[in-house]
Amino acid sequence: MSPPTPALLVMHADLAAALLRAAELVYGPIEGVEVLSNEGLSRADLEREVERRVAHWTSGGLVFTDMAGGSPHISCSAVARAHGEIVVVTGLNLPTLLDFLHNRDRFGVVELAERLRAKGQDSIRIQRGQKV
Amino acid sequence: MSWVLHRVDDRLIHGQVVIAWGHRLNPRTIWVVDDASAANSWERDLLQSAAPGVEVRVLTVAEAAARYGEVAAVQGPAFLVVRDLATARALVEAGAAIPSFNLGGLHYAPGKEKVNEYIYLDESDRSAARALEARGVELVVQDVPASRAQRLGSLDPESAAS
Repeated sequence: MSPPTPALLVMHADLAAALLRAAELVYGPIEGVEVLSNEGLSRADLEREVERRVAHWTSGGLVFTDMAGGSPHISCSAVARAHGEIVVVTGLNLPTLLDFLHNRDRFGVVELAERLRAKGQDSIRIQRGQKV
Repeated sequence: MSWVLHRVDDRLIHGQVVIAWGHRLNPRTIWVVDDASAANSWERDLLQSAAPGVEVRVLTVAEAAARYGEVAAVQGPAFLVVRDLATARALVEAGAAIPSFNLGGLHYAPGKEKVNEYIYLDESDRSAARALEARGVELVVQDVPASRAQRLGSLDPESAAS
């Protein structure tokens, strides 16, 4: 066991807050996870705000974004460049966020990010309808 | 190659450009014209990674103005993106024959006045806008293809050339 890894969710519109709220309904109260919307922010302002939110992470953390190529992801990637202990994971969904919450005190930041990538990829599934 | 979108957006390449305009106009190439980004190899890599499957070139204003006319020799539609109206003006004044700019995101900063939800301008922005309009360059406000296109001068009369 180690101290729980902190996280910041940076996404379009209200998605980060909605994902966190959904996770709390399933998981229970959550601490050490913050949310941020890109809405109305230039890239420079978004980078400054991300920088401010991660400044107190003394031993690293995970930044989750919703989509590669979006301004949240680009801004977070730019901030992470100056922070060796921060890993940006993009494409977050609810099962992946829940897996993070259940495992955030068991792995280091890099190992945790690798685990979440595998979990996230496995979480997209299809179920074909059947005629009965 | 033909130019199908000239965009002014302080986020440069991002979701609206790649997803919304990209799916509508299918660019093969995106030129990011920005002196600061062109001087920073890490920033160039970041911008290149932001548009999978599209060739992203990051150029200075001087390089882009000199090579603007070359693109007809290459196949496929092309986008050009700058971060502000001052860069748009510099590019046109350096010789790039750009007929119009799409204004898609100039966000709030201290001293800027709201034009709509995603366009905020100060006097230096308006001065650049007037200079562009005086050269016959159309300035059209439209964040994504599905939203209404409006002339900047009709939304913000102070930006219109007199």
